[in-house]
Amino acid sequence: MEQHYVDALKNGHEAITKELYNTHRPVFLGFAKKYNLAEADCVDIYQEAFIALRKHAISGKLYEINSGLNTYLFGIGKHLIYKKLKEYSVTSNYDPQLHKVLDQYEEIKLESEKESTKEQLLLYNSFKQLGKKCQHMLTLSFYRGLTNEEIAKIEGYESEAVVRSQKSRCLKTLKDLIKLSNPPRL
Amino acid sequence: MSNEELIEHYFSNVLSREERLEFNNRYEQDKTFKDEVDFLENLKVVSEGEDSQNFKSQLKGFEKEYQNTSETSNTKAWLKPLLAVAAILIIALSINFGRNRSVDETKLFDTYFEPSKNVTQPIIRSDGNENTLNDAFIAYNSSNYQEALTLFNNVYRDSKQSELLFYEGNALLALEKPKEAIEKFNQHLTFSDSLVNRSHWYLALSYLKSKDSEKAKLELQALLNSGENFKKKEATSLIKKLK
Repeated sequence: MEQHYVDALKNGHEAITKELYNTHRPVFLGFAKKYNLAEADCVDIYQEAFIALRKHAISGKLYEINSGLNTYLFGIGKHLIYKKLKEYSVTSNYDPQLHKVLDQYEEIKLESEKESTKEQLLLYNSFKQLGKKCQHMLTLSFYRGLTNEEIAKIEGYESEAVVRSQKSRCLKTLKDLIKLSNPPRL
Repeated sequence: MSNEELIEHYFSNVLSREERLEFNNRYEQDKTFKDEVDFLENLKVVSEGEDSQNFKSQLKGFEKEYQNTSETSNTKAWLKPLLAVAAILIIALSINFGRNRSVDETKLFDTYFEPSKNVTQPIIRSDGNENTLNDAFIAYNSSNYQEALTLFNNVYRDSKQSELLFYEGNALLALEKPKEAIEKFNQHLTFSDSLVNRSHWYLALSYLKSKDSEKAKLELQALLNSGENFKKKEATSLIKKLK
């Protein structure tokens, strides 16, 4: 797959992400409309597919894929379209089997999201109390998996050492907030 | 390797084979290490939700912008015949006056072009320093572009540091080789380093030097759309002069 696009999605490069969004949007909408979906639903599905594509870029999955980025994006889109058609069929007599469309895209199934654990819910409350800068720093480190060097470069910090100390300050604050919200029982 | 570094490599997905074994070992044996990793795994899940929400809002912004642009371009049907007449008039007029008006690309290029400053690496001047990249920037800053070009090229070949393509492009443009500069800047634009948006500006100037005002305008627009502040004022004024 086109590595510089995957890198741009992973590193949050806004201009390239927008270019990708704008380039594939008209073709995707044309594709989704063949399934007789309303325009607003097509746009929602496109955005959802785009979010999933970015998630796979971040998790490193896209680096292992041989197909082009658009084939992959449309494959995810197809999965989401089928999901939407199923929803239609629950609320009306719509039969999704009648609306199968022939195309070259292979459906790419997405894992359903896991429910949050009790620890995660507690952590979420404390995380939201952190300053935006700290939330961003921790997101870049732990979810996006960027190294300290990469963060320094993207966010314009002087060095990776500055990132390291900033990150450890944020983690300390987060842990203090958790302790405050969940004091040990006496 | 410290616990902190090992954990950092784990979350960045860059553990070597040995490090992975060490990581698993500590995770099994050391309760404090395990607790920290489990805590950070939860943080990963929590921050993922937050990050996706932010990205969703960003996409909504793109969508709004996209729809606004297409609405402006979808001119109402009744206007079309009028516009056609107007267009014919404009063409007819420009045939009469067009010969007098031409953009002097060379003059504009000379007014706007100045090779980019070194914003990447501070230069260390000392006798014993044999760092090629340092030498490349010394040559570049002293306007020895031919020498700088060779040195940047060598360092890039080994290090693949994409920002160097930006300086190579600048050196080529300073050496009045716009065609090669265009190739270099286009190559740089496939990356996403911190200088990438600046390449639009120099690519626009390279097109100007090659007397291709149309492509120059597209690049200037790309620079303005990128939200980058670099040369924003200059790009706005240059684009007006090219229209």
